[in-house]
Amino acid sequence: MSVLEESPLIAGMLVDTLRDIGIPPCPAILNRINVEMGREEPDFNQVASVIASDVGLAAGLISLANSPYYGLRKRVRSVNEALMMLGLSSTSRAIAGLVLHKIFPATPTLTRFWSASARIAMLSGWLAQRLEGCRVNPEDAYSFGLFRDAGIAVLINRFPEYIDLLSRANEESPLSFTAVEEAALPTNHAVVGCLLAQGWWLPEEICLAIRFHHEYPPSAPQNKTILSLIAISQLSEHLLQYHTCLSKTGEWVKAQAFCLEQLDLTVQGLESLYQASEPIVAI
Amino acid sequence: MKFQLFQLDSSTGFLDRNGCLHMAEELISRVRASGQPLAVLWLDLDRFRQINESFGHLGGDNVIALISKRIRDKLGNRAEIGHVGADEFVCLVPSAGLAEAERFADELMRIIEPEVDLGGLRYRPTASIGIAMLGPDDDAFVLLERADRAKIAAKRQGGNCHVVSGTEPLPGLMGSMLVREELEIENKLHIALEGGGLQLHYQPIIGPGGKIQAVEALMRCSSNGENISPVKFIPVAEKTGLIVRLGEWSLLQGARFARHMSNMGLPTKTAINVSRSQLVNAKFSQALHAALICANVQPDLIELELTESLFMDISDTVQNNLREARDLGIGLAIDDFGTGYSCLANLKDIPATKLKLDRAFVIVLPEDRRAMAVVKAMTQLGKELGMIVVAEGAETEAQVDALTEAGVDYIQGYFYAKPMDEVALVSWLRERNKL
Repeated sequence: MSVLEESPLIAGMLVDTLRDIGIPPCPAILNRINVEMGREEPDFNQVASVIASDVGLAAGLISLANSPYYGLRKRVRSVNEALMMLGLSSTSRAIAGLVLHKIFPATPTLTRFWSASARIAMLSGWLAQRLEGCRVNPEDAYSFGLFRDAGIAVLINRFPEYIDLLSRANEESPLSFTAVEEAALPTNHAVVGCLLAQGWWLPEEICLAIRFHHEYPPSAPQNKTILSLIAISQLSEHLLQYHTCLSKTGEWVKAQAFCLEQLDLTVQGLESLYQASEPIVAI
Repeated sequence: MKFQLFQLDSSTGFLDRNGCLHMAEELISRVRASGQPLAVLWLDLDRFRQINESFGHLGGDNVIALISKRIRDKLGNRAEIGHVGADEFVCLVPSAGLAEAERFADELMRIIEPEVDLGGLRYRPTASIGIAMLGPDDDAFVLLERADRAKIAAKRQGGNCHVVSGTEPLPGLMGSMLVREELEIENKLHIALEGGGLQLHYQPIIGPGGKIQAVEALMRCSSNGENISPVKFIPVAEKTGLIVRLGEWSLLQGARFARHMSNMGLPTKTAINVSRSQLVNAKFSQALHAALICANVQPDLIELELTESLFMDISDTVQNNLREARDLGIGLAIDDFGTGYSCLANLKDIPATKLKLDRAFVIVLPEDRRAMAVVKAMTQLGKELGMIVVAEGAETEAQVDALTEAGVDYIQGYFYAKPMDEVALVSWLRERNKL
């Protein structure tokens, strides 16, 4: 069976809503890309036709490829071109991000939430390239930014009262964010996000970083990549809040010392980032 | 003659560390020219520190002198020998292939083994020996280092043994010590975890009347198109701690499957294996809840299968985790009952709802009457405790008949159905429903 013949099924699986099937184990489209990436000579046309079968995804990928984040000189006009320019690995990550949003209902709260996640992801990718002391792959930093708080979207969707809980956890509190959640829920968004990421075959370090991203220092294995991912994303969130002056949270107060140490950053260094990051936030 | 060219150790008359290195260099150039093999054995006495601590360094020195003499008398003409540490010796054996090197190691063990009298106390010397064979890219330093590492591996295995370099455990990605094959499996597991190489297959558990009580989710792993048997990857996953990730992955996938089946109008209880490493963690129930929330599934469609290694030590944490799962309405099955660590005493500590009799009792049925008696007794016990009793591994009609006669409630095995992937299971169920 050709991929095109399969595509209505794939497209169908993507539009299934959360209420019907819960979080997809791993969207079929990502599985297809993974299978293709695992081959000795991946067939770009196969992957392109899978993506092209979903107009929304195709458009999302093309506009993402043309965003200043990727800094491509030539404007991309088709899925094939986007694939050629980004490569399979980046495409797979980009598609994961796009699919992640798509499976949740487009409520105003979630739309705002995803927009913040996308900016944090871009800032994270940008920081990973810019910061000398940080040896994290920018693509990993980007993916981590996208998926870090996916658990929040799941919980908002399942528990209407979670939004109130979220604002309480965001306020300055001596307790950690996840401890505030755990006082009201049997789990927390970091654990939910970690499971989700595992199911979507994200790299192990990203999954563990998701699980421990509200601990400073995290009780995860003391792996430099995990620590740096957490530090980069918290710094990205702080930069975003600095520029947008929106939804300021108490998190930076708790995370600052850990982040600066992990990223080998001085207070002066941080000051210079405020200015330099402005164009990225404006995307 | 040769000895005089190199530095010697004054207490034993053997080569010292530096002398050993130079001798190895010379032997390497000699055997390379003639195409002969060269073996290096690195010997370290077991428990020598205790001798030094108990009998003082003088006592220790006497033991070393005695053992040096034994080695020199018996083997001095067949190898160049070095004394390279307080209780460490190196034998460079030219022209010895691997088989001969291993025989040499056995001989060394026998030579040093006679008891030593230490002021009335008797010490029976044993040693850990590392063997390295000269490889095409080795220089003297690398060769000796490999023998030393193999010796450390022999020590880790408890001593009084030899390990050949290249087969010793190495540090894995997760920091555990693994032998080479395990290391390859660990690598493949990581690739599978990040590349979509894991899958759950489902095997139905069926009652005599054809009723399906549940399906057990069984993990399958493939890496670059090659399937890896659970018999191989589960022990490696347990050793490296990866089992927690695999277990959580199964929890979410199994829960999602249960929800999916229920959506399709084929509600099927799904039994998911959880490991000891997951349950000893106080935060297990957070992950369990996260899986239930993500899958949006009713807890009574889920069962947890507890592997028998859990029963090594049932801590308060384990009990709390199990109680919490039970309170949610999740079923608990004791897997592989009757073998390994599982025992009758555990039954009172675990709020289990299902007892799964180990396949070892089933495969010998119906001929083995003693096994039949055990199956009957365990079944009765399980029922007395209010549990459903399941027998695993039934492959023939005669076994199914015997198990039915013994009174087990449900049977799982190839006789009824093999484990199947999700798509195959759905068509299998639909096919049955038509009948």
